[in-house]
Amino acid sequence: MSISRLHTSTILISRMVIRRRMVPILMFVIPSVFFLVVYLTTSERVVPFEVASLIPQRFIEVSERFSSLVFFSVASVGFLSSYIGLVLIQDSIDVNKRLIICGYHPSELLMSNLIVLLLIIVFVAVYTALAILLFFRPEQFVLFCFALVLSGLVYGFYGLLVGSIVKGELEGILFIVLLANIDAGWLQNPLFYSEALNKDLIKYLPAYYPSQMAIVAAFESLSVSKVLIGSVGYSAVFAGLANVIYYLKMRKV
Amino acid sequence: MMILKGQNIRKAFGHRTVLKGIDIAIDAGCVKGVVGENGSGKSTLVKILVGFVKADAGQLRVKGKIGYCPQEPLVFSRLSVAENFKYYASAYDLQAYDKEQSRYYKYLMEFFRFGQYKNDKVLHLSGGTVQKLNLAIALMHRPDLLILDEPYNGFDLETYQAFLEFIDVYRKQGGSVLLVTHLLTDNSYFDEVYKLNNGVLE
Repeated sequence: MSISRLHTSTILISRMVIRRRMVPILMFVIPSVFFLVVYLTTSERVVPFEVASLIPQRFIEVSERFSSLVFFSVASVGFLSSYIGLVLIQDSIDVNKRLIICGYHPSELLMSNLIVLLLIIVFVAVYTALAILLFFRPEQFVLFCFALVLSGLVYGFYGLLVGSIVKGELEGILFIVLLANIDAGWLQNPLFYSEALNKDLIKYLPAYYPSQMAIVAAFESLSVSKVLIGSVGYSAVFAGLANVIYYLKMRKV
Repeated sequence: MMILKGQNIRKAFGHRTVLKGIDIAIDAGCVKGVVGENGSGKSTLVKILVGFVKADAGQLRVKGKIGYCPQEPLVFSRLSVAENFKYYASAYDLQAYDKEQSRYYKYLMEFFRFGQYKNDKVLHLSGGTVQKLNLAIALMHRPDLLILDEPYNGFDLETYQAFLEFIDVYRKQGGSVLLVTHLLTDNSYFDEVYKLNNGVLE
C-alpha cells in the first residue's frame, strides 16, 4: 500500500464528497430536523424504561423528550453514515475501476474511502452531540460522543457493504432504509424496547450496542465496555465483508 | 518486438458467444484497427485486453505499459481537469518533481488545449473536451501500446485531424496503437485493419 497514493486519493475523494452538494446539506439538516421534530412532538413527562445492557436489570426515569433526543441522535448519525458510506463506494465505481487498471490497488481506494467516512462520522457525531446540549447535558458527554461515532461506524460500514454488493444507488438506499429504519429508527427506541417481545432478537441488531452506550452515557455514570466490544465487532464484520466484496468486484483480471 | 499477443480469446455472456477465439498480435511501432458493427464485441475485446473483463478462455501476453482510452469517458466529474490528471498521475506512479514528466504534462495540456479549462470541473465541460481528457489520461504515462475504444466520439473536425496526426507522431516515436471503432474513414494511418464479424477477426 502506497502512502502517497492513499494521501492523494483521500484528499480527492473528500473534495468529491463535499462537492456533492446533498451530502453537506444532509449532514446539517438530518440531525436538526430530527431534533426539531422531537422538540415539537414530545413532552417533559417522566417515563421509566429498561436499560437492556445493564445487569442486574435497571430502569431509568427521564423525560420522554430527553430519551427521544438520545434515540434520534443515534438514529440520525446511523442514517447519515450509511448513506455516505453508500455514496462513497458507489460514486464513480467505473472510474475507480479504471484507476485500478492504471495502477491503484483496490485496498488503497477502499482505505481512502474508510478514512473519508471516518472523518465525516466524527464530524457528524460531534455536531449532533453539541446540538443535544441545547436541550440537556449528557451525564458522560465524551462517552456520548463516542457512542454516536460508534453508531456511525456500524452503519457507515454497513453502507459500504451495501454499496459493494448492490449496483444501483436507489436499491442501495432501500437496503439501508430497510435495516436502519427498523433497527436504529424503531426497535432500539428505549421506550419501545422496554415493552417489546423477543428482546433477544433486538439485542442482535447492529444499532443495539451504540444505542445502549448512548443511553448509558446520557443518563448514567456507569462503564459500558461490553457494548463497546459489540459495536467494534459489528463494524469490523461489515468493514471486512465490504473489503472482500469490493476487492473481488474491482480487482484487475 | 511484440507488445501484445492474444490467442484464442473467447467470451460469452449467458448463451450468447461474443468472441469465438480471437487471435491478435501487436508489434512495437505499429498501428492496427478493429472495425465492426455495433454490438459485435469490439468493446468486450478491448476490455479483455486491458484487464477490465476476464475472458472465458485464451491466453494473453503483454510486454510494456498499456494506455487505455475507454469508449465512455471514465473521469471524475466532480474533479477539475488538473485534479483528474493528479489522480491518474498517482495511479501511474508519476512523480510531480520529474522535469521531463512535467514537460510532457504541459505538452499534453497544450496539445489538447486544456489551458483555459484546467481548473474547471469536468461536470461543466463539453462532451468533446471530456473525451479529450479521457484520451489524455491514457497518454499520461507514455504507454508502449495505446488501446483506444471509439476515441473520437464528440471530437470536432479540427480535433479529429489533430488526433490522427498525434497518432502518426506517436507511432514514429515507437508507440503502438490499437484503435477500435465502428466507422473508419481513413485507412492510410493503419498498418492493418481487422473486421470483427460474428465473434471472429477477419
